[in-house]
Amino acid sequence: MIPLEINGQTHQVEVSADTPLLWVLRDVLGLTGTKFGCGIAQCGACTVHVDGQAVRSCLLPAGAIKGRKITTIEAVGATPAGAKVQKAWLDLEVIQCGYCQSGQIMSAAALLASTPHPDDSDIDAAMAGNICRCGTYVRIRAAIKKAAGAA
Amino acid sequence: MKKLLIVLILLVLAGAAFAGWIVFGPGPLDFTGGSPVALADYKGPDPSGVPASLKTASPVARGEYLARAADCEACHTVKGGASFAGGLAFKLPFGTLYAPNITPDRETGIGNWSDADFLNAVHKGIARDGTRLYPAFPYAAYTMMSDADALAIKAFLFSLPAVHAPTPPNTFAFPFNQRWLMVFWSAFFNADHRFMPHPDRSPEWNRGAYLAEAMAHCGDCHTPRNLMQALDNRRKFAGAVASGWKAYDITQDKESGIGGWGDDSLAAFLATGHAQGYGTASGPMGEAVDKSLMHLVPQDIKALVAYLRTVPAVSDPALPAPKTAPAPASHREGVAVADARGKAIFAGACAGCHGWTGQSPVLTYATFTGGRAVNDPGARNVAQAIVWGVTREGANGPVVMPAFGQAYSDVEIAAVANYVTARFGAAPSSLTARQVAQIRQQAAQ
Repeated sequence: MIPLEINGQTHQVEVSADTPLLWVLRDVLGLTGTKFGCGIAQCGACTVHVDGQAVRSCLLPAGAIKGRKITTIEAVGATPAGAKVQKAWLDLEVIQCGYCQSGQIMSAAALLASTPHPDDSDIDAAMAGNICRCGTYVRIRAAIKKAAGAA
Repeated sequence: MKKLLIVLILLVLAGAAFAGWIVFGPGPLDFTGGSPVALADYKGPDPSGVPASLKTASPVARGEYLARAADCEACHTVKGGASFAGGLAFKLPFGTLYAPNITPDRETGIGNWSDADFLNAVHKGIARDGTRLYPAFPYAAYTMMSDADALAIKAFLFSLPAVHAPTPPNTFAFPFNQRWLMVFWSAFFNADHRFMPHPDRSPEWNRGAYLAEAMAHCGDCHTPRNLMQALDNRRKFAGAVASGWKAYDITQDKESGIGGWGDDSLAAFLATGHAQGYGTASGPMGEAVDKSLMHLVPQDIKALVAYLRTVPAVSDPALPAPKTAPAPASHREGVAVADARGKAIFAGACAGCHGWTGQSPVLTYATFTGGRAVNDPGARNVAQAIVWGVTREGANGPVVMPAFGQAYSDVEIAAVANYVTARFGAAPSSLTARQVAQIRQQAAQ
């Protein structure tokens, strides 16, 4: 049994310590908003927050994050930065197919929480690990700036 | 005419002196001085064998512990292959050599070997059929192993399933393919005597010396080699390149070595492959920890630390004292690097786990701070880790860094390695794409 604090709730999950957090979220807890992309921490689709920092959940052993505060796309709207990002995403209709977007939103929310007024280089540095095959990058950049402006 | 003769004689003398310098170099334990005694004459607790908790265990169980201490598996197993069935390729300057199958298969392994055959190989580097083994098999270290320990290892190996796996022939060219020449190598460089305890040192030191020299053979990677490929113990543990990775200075030098490490940090690094403020073992050292050192009991790790503490400091001038502070949290701060691709690739492929500070928010093994690899202005191990990835046994199961060798070109890998050393280390590297191509080729696979 591994105690995990996810979206403000403590879950006792029965998995081996080396199970990646992504599979705990999706298969054990049914939180399927977090997506599986590459499985080697290179695409960003599985991004979640651990203590407010954006991390890739696909290579993160569940046993390594006992007692840390985990936030997923299902609850990021309850954080101030997450709420602004989601609103900007809707206003600008950022999403195309949508598969990568929960990861994009998690990375953008973590960026705004630490850097409320990011410039292009900050956006590059924070978002480069999140890949979008539809090429929504232009709208993502615009939406991050819009969300920051609303601050 | 007379002048010519004098010049000739001087040349011959100089050559002989040089050869003597190489051949009559110090042995691995000569640095310690004193008067060692034969194991049988030593009054202290036996430095060989297994820890107290295993003293009454079966020979197979004792052999398993000792085989781990001697780290047989790392070399005698190819990635993805059966344990101890051989096949790992060592790319040496003279060609490629393959580790043999040491499972008890009668045809392709050592199933037909008697105890005497096994001791001959371990102590003298002579195979059952009389052929000479190359010193890639560290028999000049294992020669210090007691008969009882070597035979316990044999008992363990013989308890394993026999795997039919012929060893590929080596690709050495003449004259290196002449195995009989190893007769001379052994005569010069294999002392062929068992470990001799030093009564003037503590029992703990003697246990550590036995483990480090007769079993773990630290020097085979960490001690530079002379022209004859024997260990140059004048620079014992001062660092060398092995299988394309740098085995760093582990002498007591305070800057390039481990002289500044606390005992607890050193013990943690040996036992887990990570110590806070000293980075993470990867490559062959990561494997040595996972397959060997992490299985040793805490007293044996302590003994290794006690022994390492006494190895004289030898500086590696290429290595600065590591930078101990994390990099700035913002990507804007930190050093600027000529090739902007380095930062761009770091942002996309690396920062997600390693962070901009080099202190991973989630995985201690992914923290760079204070690590030797990022503090090596040669950047060799950073580049190797990028090319081959890293897999380590963590407390919560395997910890994996993906291999990027197929994903990025040599130019890109050089750029990101240079960015990593500049951002997280004490001095930036200037690795070139050409060097990346070379060190890619050198790794054992």
